[in-house]
Amino acid sequence: MQHLSEQSSVVKYKMVLIFLLGILVLIASFIASLSIGAYAISFADVLKLLFSPDEGKAASIIHTIRLPRALVGIIVGACLAIAGGIMQAITNNPLASPQVFGVNAGASLMVVAGVVLFPGLGSSTLVYFAFLGAAVGGAIVYSLSSTGGGMTPVKLALAGITVHLFLSSLIEGIVLFHETSTEDVLFWLAGGIDGRNWADVRLMIPWSLTGLIGALFLGKGLTILGLGDDVARGLGQKIGWIRASSAILVILLAGISVAVAGPIGFIGLIIPNIVRKLMGSDYRLVLPLSAVFGAALLTISDVLSRFISFPAESPVGIVTALLGAPFFLYLASKGGRAA
Amino acid sequence: MKKSIVSLFMLVLVLVLSACGGSSEDQTSEDPQADSGETAEDTRVIEHEMGETEITGQPEKVVALEFSFVDNLASLGVSPVGIADDDDSERIIEPIREKIGDYTSVGTRKQPSLEVISSLQPDLIIADMKRHKDIYDQLSDIAPTIILPSLAADYEGIISSFETVSKAMGMEEKGDEVLADHEAKMEELRAQVPEDEERTVLPAVVADSGYFAHNMESYTGSLLESIGLKNAIQSGDERYNKINLEQVVEFNPDVMFHMVAGDQTVVDEWESNDLYQNISAVENGEVHEVDRNMWSRFRGLISSEKILEDAINYLYEE
Amino acid sequence: MSLKKMHPMTIIISLTLLVLLGAFLSIGVGAVWIPPGSIFNYFVGVDAGGSGYIIENFRLPRIIMSLLVGAGLGISGAVLQGIIRNPLASPDVIGITKGAGFAAVAVIILFPSLPVIGLPIAAFIGAGLVTIGLYIFAFKRGVQPATLALVGIALGAICQAGIQFLTVKFPLETNAALVWLTGSLWGKDWTDVWMLLPWIVIVVPITFFLAPKLDVLSLGDDVAEGLGEPVRKARLLLLIIAVILAGASVAVVGTLGFVGLIAPHIARQLVGNKHIYLLPVSALTGTLLLMVADNLGRGLFPPTEVPAGIFTAVIGAPYFLFLLRKMQKS
Repeated sequence: MQHLSEQSSVVKYKMVLIFLLGILVLIASFIASLSIGAYAISFADVLKLLFSPDEGKAASIIHTIRLPRALVGIIVGACLAIAGGIMQAITNNPLASPQVFGVNAGASLMVVAGVVLFPGLGSSTLVYFAFLGAAVGGAIVYSLSSTGGGMTPVKLALAGITVHLFLSSLIEGIVLFHETSTEDVLFWLAGGIDGRNWADVRLMIPWSLTGLIGALFLGKGLTILGLGDDVARGLGQKIGWIRASSAILVILLAGISVAVAGPIGFIGLIIPNIVRKLMGSDYRLVLPLSAVFGAALLTISDVLSRFISFPAESPVGIVTALLGAPFFLYLASKGGRAA
Repeated sequence: MKKSIVSLFMLVLVLVLSACGGSSEDQTSEDPQADSGETAEDTRVIEHEMGETEITGQPEKVVALEFSFVDNLASLGVSPVGIADDDDSERIIEPIREKIGDYTSVGTRKQPSLEVISSLQPDLIIADMKRHKDIYDQLSDIAPTIILPSLAADYEGIISSFETVSKAMGMEEKGDEVLADHEAKMEELRAQVPEDEERTVLPAVVADSGYFAHNMESYTGSLLESIGLKNAIQSGDERYNKINLEQVVEFNPDVMFHMVAGDQTVVDEWESNDLYQNISAVENGEVHEVDRNMWSRFRGLISSEKILEDAINYLYEE
Repeated sequence: MSLKKMHPMTIIISLTLLVLLGAFLSIGVGAVWIPPGSIFNYFVGVDAGGSGYIIENFRLPRIIMSLLVGAGLGISGAVLQGIIRNPLASPDVIGITKGAGFAAVAVIILFPSLPVIGLPIAAFIGAGLVTIGLYIFAFKRGVQPATLALVGIALGAICQAGIQFLTVKFPLETNAALVWLTGSLWGKDWTDVWMLLPWIVIVVPITFFLAPKLDVLSLGDDVAEGLGEPVRKARLLLLIIAVILAGASVAVVGTLGFVGLIAPHIARQLVGNKHIYLLPVSALTGTLLLMVADNLGRGLFPPTEVPAGIFTAVIGAPYFLFLLRKMQKS
């Protein structure tokens, strides 16, 4: 008995340490994101101007351009990582993530269709298109991969990537017909956060907060679900209810991200896997930690994306893909089971 | 059973094989370059990006696969029979549309319809290096084809393309005249720019998806530089850069020429931001909306003159 | 469902006739419509003027390309679905086409002055490299079907990331690659036909002889080994064949998707799971699918050409949903 509580205090200690580490990385990348850009502002000035803005150009740049962009990055990263974590818990499958599940591509297709078919729509309406698309994409992949005796990593990945490719081709077709610019196609296939402003932050906050808080409440249920349906039922969990609310949360979290930033991939795949490796499968810890590390990873990727073809902007989705695809290979070479 | 299926398939494949074997042999003997020209006096060899092409006589039916070549032809007083106009005649700028009259659209510049081109039975095809390199063989089989830089060319490249086009058309004298006129015109325009002009300019395509700035090496940028208007962007690996508000602020152009694409653009969003309002060009009321087709897609002599007229008009005659 | 009662040979023969008829009708379709009279004249050797030139230089090579590519991708998909034992496997999904695409784009940027012929060669090599990578990574785990599929998807994702990086970094240079990346029969001529033909003519019959191996493999590794089949060797051989067919096809026409996924499904609806019938029928349905897609791309918005790859997705997506409903019901 004593042994057990000792162990749990070690776990707690470790958890706090990792959590602090995550916050530290996040803050560092956040400041880097505020400091690096075409307009040179020194490190010290960034910190000073962040808290006491003056009338100058530098302060304006930080407060109207870099800050909202960094915040969008943090929110999107957190949302995608949590969505990935929830999906991996529900399906008990390390490859599950908004991208592999067709949720990103579905939302993206609906937003592109909305923009093309109803040009006057504001972004607050397009969010609902994104939710619908996310739901449909996810539902298709879920039903495709769970036919014929349970969902294995292979079935999920094959179904997910196939649907992803289909939807991406349709997006490409729509964008090509609508406007022949390559940049548009790339944005809608890779996703980016350059040029995002306070309006986008305001749009995201209510939805992402709902998703975040919901995820915190869901943590316990998801952890117990991991012990198997029977055990969970024995412990008095309403399995159907957990699954349904998980689905809704995933749609909210991934949908709002895609509506604002396009289908940024791999964050939702990598982060929960790493966090689980560090922390074990207690989703009360995994989900909040995923949020922190997801936010940090997207912010770092965003900083890196500014160097690809400086001074021009490149979609951040390219960086997350370059980082994430090899990680996918690592998971895949373990048969999609480990980590 | 297995064998019968296999043999059935082999049969089909043999049929297909023999069908195409027959036709490809004809193809070589029909090559227009093989049996044309040796004797005629006015046969000339045109050097271009993909090698050399022999052209005999004065081509009458010309197909242009980029807008800059349409401009070149119009300058020479030639109306092309076919144009890759992206199936949208509005993309041909007004002054040139008036000059050339009716033509047949051969589809998009990216993937022009070879069938339509061949049905026009042209005797010269002018195509772009970046876009049409891969179909050079097919085009050459239809008619003598020259491949010139357009999409990736700057103003000087455009001028040298024009010289090649007039040579290919057998209108070298006329070409020299046109060029002399053009240079005189350019000189006249240049004279309207004061020696001490120090303002920087920034031409950019503005769309909903972003702000695409053209730097000093781009066609529009280099053209404006040629009359002494310095581009705000003197760096960058690429000629066309997607940049955000912060970078526009950093480059702080004194004059901006916006080629507007679409009803809503990023600039609408920026206008509510003080940073944008404080950009030199915005403060001085020197943000000008210009025609994207003329300013960025056309890349020719006539459009160059029109662009500069536009620019000088906006800068000095308001 | 009544189709299933028909003898597979009857289906194969009627499909072949349908393909030939379709090919004949396709000759007339395009930005320039050619009346059947002129087509007939062309084939009997009467001078058909400009139409004759169009038929000979543009329509015929494109139609024959759609036969070859459709067959290559269709069979490749059927073989992959057989060895991976999953109906959702296809050359697109397990990274072969993406590998070809990445190699092609990289070559365009690194060697801009490379002659036109270099592109398909590079693409074919790219597809080959992905396969080698696939095998190396999957080998550790005994070349399990599941690992093959997952590693393939991952390698595909890496190549896709590479393609996106290059297109962003070098937008002007990649312009030439864009048409190729969407997959299109536009601009294909006899040179392309001759380049692809030997691969298809030699490899396709080999797959028919290997059909029984696929039947055995589909019973599962244990049963297959029990029946004396060296499972790993057979799987490797079949994988190489699938890559050659898909790689050669994609090298010539670009990353044209979904034919390899959908054709085998239609074929399975028609003749069931026996590979000796499934393979040829997959080839025929692949051919039909691509021919229809290319006809639409040519004839729907003339003179604008729409890449066939977009229409294979547009036709493929609804069928995919239909398939989903069917799988759920059963």
